[in-house]
Amino acid sequence: MKKSLHWPIGLLYIGLILYAVITFIPFTWALSASFKSLAEISSGGSNFVPQTFTFDNYKQIFLQEPLFGRWLFNSAIVALIVTLFNLLFNSMAGYALARVQFPGNRFLFFLILAVLVVPAQITLLPKFLILKSLGWLNSYQGLVVPTVVNATFIFMMRQFFLNFPKELEEAAALDGLNRFETFFQVVLPLAKPALAAQTIFIFMGSWNEFLLPLVVMSDPTMFTLPIGLNAFKGQYITYWNYIMAASMVFTLPALAIYAFFNRYFIQGVTFTGGKS
Amino acid sequence: MKKQVARLTCLGLLLLVSSCRSNSSDTNAPIEITLSGWQSNPNESKLLTKVINEFEIKNPNIKVKREVINSQYMDVIRTRLIGEVAPDVFYLEAFEAPTLMKSGVLEPLDGYIKPDYDIKDFEPSLINAFKRDGKLYAIPKDFSTLALFYNTTAFQNANLKQPPETWAELTQFAKRLTVDTNRDGKPDRYGMGVAPELPRQLFMIKAFGGTLVDQQNYASFASPNGVKGLQLVIDQYRRDRTVAQPSDVGANSNSEAFGQGKVAMAIEGAWAIPYLKDTFPDLKFATAEVPTINGKKGTMAFTVGYGMNRQSKHKDAAWKLIEFLTSKQGMKSWATEGLALPSRKSVAAALRYDRNPLYAPLAAGAKYATIWQSGETLPTVMTSFDNQFVSALLGQQPLKDAMQKAQDTANREIYLSN
Amino acid sequence: MLKSKFFNRRNVREALSGYLFMTPTIVVLGVFLALPVLYAIVLAFHKVNLLGDVSYRFTGLKNFVRMQDDERVWIALQNTVQYVAIVVPIQTLLALGLALTLNTKIRGRSWFRVAFFLPTVTSSAVLTLIFMWIYNSNGLLNSVLSFFSLPTYNWLGDPEVALKGIMIMNVWATAPLFMVIYLAALQDIPESLYEAAAIDGATTWEKFWHITLPFLRPVTFFVIVMGLIGTFQLFDQSYIFSNGSGGPNNATLTIVLLIYQYAFKNLDMGYALALTLMLAFVIMTATLVQRQFFGEESLD
Repeated sequence: MKKSLHWPIGLLYIGLILYAVITFIPFTWALSASFKSLAEISSGGSNFVPQTFTFDNYKQIFLQEPLFGRWLFNSAIVALIVTLFNLLFNSMAGYALARVQFPGNRFLFFLILAVLVVPAQITLLPKFLILKSLGWLNSYQGLVVPTVVNATFIFMMRQFFLNFPKELEEAAALDGLNRFETFFQVVLPLAKPALAAQTIFIFMGSWNEFLLPLVVMSDPTMFTLPIGLNAFKGQYITYWNYIMAASMVFTLPALAIYAFFNRYFIQGVTFTGGKS
Repeated sequence: MKKQVARLTCLGLLLLVSSCRSNSSDTNAPIEITLSGWQSNPNESKLLTKVINEFEIKNPNIKVKREVINSQYMDVIRTRLIGEVAPDVFYLEAFEAPTLMKSGVLEPLDGYIKPDYDIKDFEPSLINAFKRDGKLYAIPKDFSTLALFYNTTAFQNANLKQPPETWAELTQFAKRLTVDTNRDGKPDRYGMGVAPELPRQLFMIKAFGGTLVDQQNYASFASPNGVKGLQLVIDQYRRDRTVAQPSDVGANSNSEAFGQGKVAMAIEGAWAIPYLKDTFPDLKFATAEVPTINGKKGTMAFTVGYGMNRQSKHKDAAWKLIEFLTSKQGMKSWATEGLALPSRKSVAAALRYDRNPLYAPLAAGAKYATIWQSGETLPTVMTSFDNQFVSALLGQQPLKDAMQKAQDTANREIYLSN
Repeated sequence: MLKSKFFNRRNVREALSGYLFMTPTIVVLGVFLALPVLYAIVLAFHKVNLLGDVSYRFTGLKNFVRMQDDERVWIALQNTVQYVAIVVPIQTLLALGLALTLNTKIRGRSWFRVAFFLPTVTSSAVLTLIFMWIYNSNGLLNSVLSFFSLPTYNWLGDPEVALKGIMIMNVWATAPLFMVIYLAALQDIPESLYEAAAIDGATTWEKFWHITLPFLRPVTFFVIVMGLIGTFQLFDQSYIFSNGSGGPNNATLTIVLLIYQYAFKNLDMGYALALTLMLAFVIMTATLVQRQFFGEESLD
């Protein structure tokens, strides 16, 4: 039994490594480009190691751009608050849709699916007008409040909670816990993998959000990183060297969050290697 | 408890006092006006900041707040105009001007212009780009035409002494400049680069008397005369195989392909000059006027103006800013980057753009250029043209059919949207 | 009698707590999503001018009738459907496969997980440049293809392969997202189920087929619906590829690109919103068909 499994596993590794190469090479190329001069990037060569290694791109974005720190702060604070609220609100809504019986449950679920199918470009203008009438342009709440709930992840949490073992809830009910106590004391602690996945996605979504801050924030001190860094995409010339460096800096936090929350998916079952 | 009451009263008083203070100081407080635009490069931005500082020193009661929009510029400006939070003064491309002038969101500027402003100093064609029904809605800040950029090293290697003067000559030169050094059947350098977009091809439509749109702003570029000019480009691409699109040679833009030496000639604007100098320091190139077609000179001109928001609360201050930025002195102090040419003839002369060998051909083009602008239907016309022109370039269908299809599609949409 | 009263009160309490759980969602989505969508629905029946001299003119179904004769709508719909039909199954299966593999205790799985996720965190501006570098005619992909003596293509210029290039790019960038969702879902499968099956002598394959897959059904529903929505709303790549025109000869025209052209370029809001409603209708239909396929999930 064990012997016969050897070479399928070898094949599996080859497949995994090949796929890793496909995902890894472009990234390392971008990393190396962030140490190249604009001239070298534009010369069209596909060399991996920079001919002349330079830190100038990083210097330019950190030191020459006086607002870089401010943009980083704006992005971080917005992403952090948005992530926290989303975790709470989406999970609550997802749980209610999956497990609580109330009139209008199905209708609300249908509505949530319905708003998901409308492209963001279309809701941008009315959203902008609403924020304007609330007086929230150029403010953090203008970016935070519309995004503290996310239909996509309510939907996701609902699907996760559909699988949640009923026995645990019934036991909690017998212990005299109400819905809220059950949710916070029994259900949430057991939903860590789903919450971890949600954290990664919400953080990334908020961190990368472009359209909303682009129209809501007109004051440069209120820009988030993606908007600020867009300055390197000039009207006539694109400064690929700065974009590469900036995006490396920009990517790191999201990658760190992912790497950190990955631990919640790590238990793993043993399919290979015969019986567990 | 008592303490708290006292604290609250204090707070209340404080608020009252501070609000009183801010009320009383309002009369002396500087007016704040907003200026929105994009940023072409960091140097240009610094120069603009300097000019604005000069303006603020001269006008101590006006403070200028700069807002930079670097992506989807017109989408954002339009959204803010609809939301009535648009800047007082903003950049406006001639291409986008007709819709805004028609919709009444721009303040007519004729009433503000004083005789000593010397409006006659501007290139007339640039001023006309921002006029509608006799009213002027924006002041051109700068412009660029297109000129022929050629790689002098490649010309020397091909024993070419002079840039081509006619399109026939250019076609011949392009053949001699196309080389396949590694003999894999695919040229390593093409004679010329082509950008298959309407803004770059419109003067080809006009070369033999074609028109882009008719009196009612319906597309009319598929006429035999319109197609004749475009056919020259298609033939070079398909029959001679001496012309390449940027994507054919792995470049992001025509000027990048030229900089990389993958095409020996390119028709580009002033913005390419600082880009090429900075990015490809080893490249040796020169410029010439676009070769004549059908015995006539022709090129494109692109211009950007300063427009004023009709809803601005400080129109006089806004005009003062526009006036300063486009005055002889103001324009001079930040038109030195070379991304575009100053729109005032006197400033162009003072900065000697007409004597600079690289810029002179661009400056000369101003006299006969077609301004990149048309009626409000231009976006529809352009989308349709771009969509089908590439298809003809790739040989999917004859140019005549492609253009007819593009014209029909555009006109049906224009008809239906009315 | 007493009993039913008791149940009633319980039901009321249950319903109340349900609404309380939903309150933040109802408020925020109501104001910032449902209201804009409602606005969009109303405008779809009007000829609107929002810029400057605002005007609304009720036109009834005119915007919808106009779609029927609009050849570009059908082409865009065709392109989009073709794209959806190919990308959604591939990315779903790839994500599931990767997640199942990386959920086993193979060596180096943490590294693989990070490496596989890289395309997703990379910013879209950089992705564009990376793809120019890979796809251009002298680029990496063609070098690899010619190394193995395979035919090479002009991936960026040739419309025959352009959409395929966009498909590959999209699968590559979104499969890791869904992989993470599958990974999270796999953690929730109770170990006891597998243990019980093992006692019954189930093979690995049987465990997968009878325990893992059924358990993943709700999440798969989510993954496919989000895949449908994402691919039906394809915009960025075809915009970049065709510079916004959808060419050559409509080869890269998608519905959202068409909507964007009308809403932002031609400033024909009413028609753009009518197209949006049509798209929403198509996606909802696809979702419902898919849901039939997956069977009705229970809600109690």
